[in-house]
Amino acid sequence: MSLELKAKLAIYDHFAAVGSRPSVDDIAARVGAAVPQVREIFGRLRAQRVLVLEADAESIRMAPPFSGVPTQHRVTAAGVTYHANCAWDALGIPAALHKPAIVQSRCEQSMEPLELAISDRGPEASHWLFHCVVPASRWWDDIVFT
Amino acid sequence: MLFFRSEERVRAWCMTTGHPLRPLVRMDQLWELARAWYSTRLLPESRRPQPAEMRQIFARLDLAGTFWDPQSDAFG
Repeated sequence: MSLELKAKLAIYDHFAAVGSRPSVDDIAARVGAAVPQVREIFGRLRAQRVLVLEADAESIRMAPPFSGVPTQHRVTAAGVTYHANCAWDALGIPAALHKPAIVQSRCEQSMEPLELAISDRGPEASHWLFHCVVPASRWWDDIVFT
Repeated sequence: MLFFRSEERVRAWCMTTGHPLRPLVRMDQLWELARAWYSTRLLPESRRPQPAEMRQIFARLDLAGTFWDPQSDAFG
């Protein structure tokens, strides 16, 4: 297994375990590599659209479906609280974890709270809707806005 | 990519913000999208769906039209 793949898996393992982003130092310690080497790997993972990094080029903003920063989309599974990048990723977290979860978010127009239970069979019956203004071909033009 | 309580609320939000109304996606469809994108994300063999796979996934969920066309040159 390449160091890059080890680092990628370590990033996702960290998010899955604790719900928050790891630092470059965390991943370097986890995979037994030097910090500058891991910083380079973060850059390569960004180029592959595996990660979205902050302006400092090393803090993880997104490791989809996980968000490295608090958002309006919260997911709780097995006692761990996660933040999702968007409504799609809010369901993506239980899909990635393969665990039942509660998704908490809101209606963007009315600010009514959403609480949606997700089981291994999927979401409970719900009339809520998902809406995206950006066409699929443009999602990565500005993925934070998307 | 946002949640809305109803189609009426989506329409009101589009009117307020000036954003165009796009195709609406039900929660069961969104779950299938989430599974297609992320069910292997924590595994070594994980990779993001490529444009041809995306088209197949969208078609299977009756998400048709140019809005859902990933246009392969937009994906690295």
